[in-house]
Amino acid sequence: MRTSLTKMFAITATTALLAAGCATGTGVEAESSDVGEVAADTSATVRILMEAVPDTDIVQGLIADFNAEYPDITIEIESLAFDQMRDKLIASFQSSDPTYDLIVADNPWMDDFAPAGFLAPLDDRIANTPGLDHEDFFGPLREIAEVDGVTYGVPFYNYALGYLYNEPLLTGAGLSVPTSLDELVTTSKALTSGDQTGLAMQPQRGYKIFEEWANFLFAAGGSIYNEDGSGALDSPEAQAALEAYIDLYNTAAPENSLNWAFDEAFRSVSTGASAAMVSYNWNLPALNSPDAGEFAGNFKLAPMPGGKQVLGSWTWAIPSNSASSDAAWAFVSWLTSKEVDVSRVIAGGAAIRESTLQDERVLAEGFGADYYDAIIAILSNAAPLSEGAGGEEMIQAVGTELSEAVAGTKSVEDALKDANDAINSIQG
Amino acid sequence: MLLPLLVVAGIAVGLPLVYAFYLSLTDFSLTQQGVAQIVGADNYIASLTNEGLWGAIGTTFTYVIIAVSFETVIGLLIALSLQKQKWARDITRAMLLAPMFITPIAVGLTFRFLLNDQLGAIPYLLKSLGTNYDFLGSGKALFTLAMIDVWQWTPFMVLLLLAGLESIPKQPLEAARVDGANAVYIFRRITLPLLTPILSVAVLLRSLDALKVFEYVYATTRGGPGTETETIQYFTYQTGIQFFRLGEASSMAFILLLIVLPLIVFLFRRIDRRTSS
Repeated sequence: MRTSLTKMFAITATTALLAAGCATGTGVEAESSDVGEVAADTSATVRILMEAVPDTDIVQGLIADFNAEYPDITIEIESLAFDQMRDKLIASFQSSDPTYDLIVADNPWMDDFAPAGFLAPLDDRIANTPGLDHEDFFGPLREIAEVDGVTYGVPFYNYALGYLYNEPLLTGAGLSVPTSLDELVTTSKALTSGDQTGLAMQPQRGYKIFEEWANFLFAAGGSIYNEDGSGALDSPEAQAALEAYIDLYNTAAPENSLNWAFDEAFRSVSTGASAAMVSYNWNLPALNSPDAGEFAGNFKLAPMPGGKQVLGSWTWAIPSNSASSDAAWAFVSWLTSKEVDVSRVIAGGAAIRESTLQDERVLAEGFGADYYDAIIAILSNAAPLSEGAGGEEMIQAVGTELSEAVAGTKSVEDALKDANDAINSIQG
Repeated sequence: MLLPLLVVAGIAVGLPLVYAFYLSLTDFSLTQQGVAQIVGADNYIASLTNEGLWGAIGTTFTYVIIAVSFETVIGLLIALSLQKQKWARDITRAMLLAPMFITPIAVGLTFRFLLNDQLGAIPYLLKSLGTNYDFLGSGKALFTLAMIDVWQWTPFMVLLLLAGLESIPKQPLEAARVDGANAVYIFRRITLPLLTPILSVAVLLRSLDALKVFEYVYATTRGGPGTETETIQYFTYQTGIQFFRLGEASSMAFILLLIVLPLIVFLFRRIDRRTSS
């Protein structure tokens, strides 16, 4: 019996080790195709994993138009919540029988996915696709899709931040849109009275607080990285930005909102409980939507005080192991073409092309010229939270330190020092 | 006879464990190219010297102690009351058990908004009474999460303890009453000792389950403010899934297993000893 048990254990262990060996071999080398213009009679199925957001619904609504040009390409979109996406993507990347032929990637993922060989380079496809006009995409969005000089994606939509404010509240108080960090602080404080607060903040630990505070950092003249790529959070500008952030949290933000994230802040602003928020530019149509409440129509968008803001971006990318990469490119190049992009933006899709925001149809049928002017200003001067591999870990580490400072469990100096050390140890 | 059981146990339990242990000895990262390298005890050394991990373990045990203590006391009180209930027993018990059947992530999200200072019913009620409490603020968030656990899992305690109470033989209780013992004396000297084996099992099961707390943290605080609600499961999830380092995350899971296993063995031995005596 003892011998049998020993044998059984050995078999089990060996099987596990073999399974482990199989599972750990990523091994798919990135191969570039130069097929730009895909033949209209191409027959394939393109399985896409996307985030369950309104922009995905808009893409879904355009599939019929795509099939008018490519009748034999079937587009199958699977929509998931953000937190479920990455695990499924990685499982698909590592499989010899992939689940997805086309993906959308969040900007911190690009620097992890591309060096791992998960994504196919697209430079040749971009160069060989007539009318794509790659330079027309906003520069900061193009840069996110580029890793070590190679382009791995095409912009899908941006989520750059801006200052979203309730205009009647601002003008009613005799105030104008803040253009500097000091003005943001004084304006937010001036708008705080009674049950109304000046700024619905999002200091939840991790991504949210870092995403919000980095706008303060830029407004103070600071940056996340030095030119050599090392952390730059040990600067006087970072200290001023964090002190201003904490000051605002204590004096002009809703009470007891230390764990607030987007949902709470949006609700607070849309119900008039807060006068403004720092959030994604494309929230303006949602805030002004007739069913958004009694304050719908009151909201405006402005670039962040100081002019520079945090940029997020989703990028179309073709996995190296895509089973139908040409058909996937046919869909991406069609969807992001100038003509289709105009339709997408009029339907409420977030901007990616400069020409789209100057298109007469967009200005006439979209959400107002001043909205698009603000977006042009925002996307012309924006930077992502992370650069290089390990972005997700760096963001979480810095976001934890910032949270400590706002909660008062760490001094501003110590939190920034530890945050800077985290950047250097994770990405150095 | 034993062989099929061992085969099933070997596959269902042994295989994932062996695989996880193998991973813990490698530098396996979800985004690395090529085959993972064996790194020996490096992951264990890195984990054992990681202050964040020990902080998360401390937070988790604090959470378990608070939550399970409240659940045990409240569960016992409710079970004693229900035992004496004469009418509408089925409806009362069904209603009491309802929180157990809600998925924890939904419970977490519900409480996130229920406790929201501008939207939530609870802060609104407190404000109407002239008081204000920052449920998820610094120094309070962990206790609040433990209370969410209490809300959802006290019914589990009630279920087990009620079954235990109803299985206690009636003769000793009746004999004590005939001898003139009061209710407190009967509870302390007869009911509680006879209930101890099932009470121990209930505490053990709830503690092991509470150790896995993840959903409430994920839905409400994401480990904050700072690291105040960063539990071991959330810490491991971040290391393995968010930061891709599955090898290191596996070593953390095994370290937790090595901490918890002796406690379980110790508790089972105590139960055995009490039962046999």
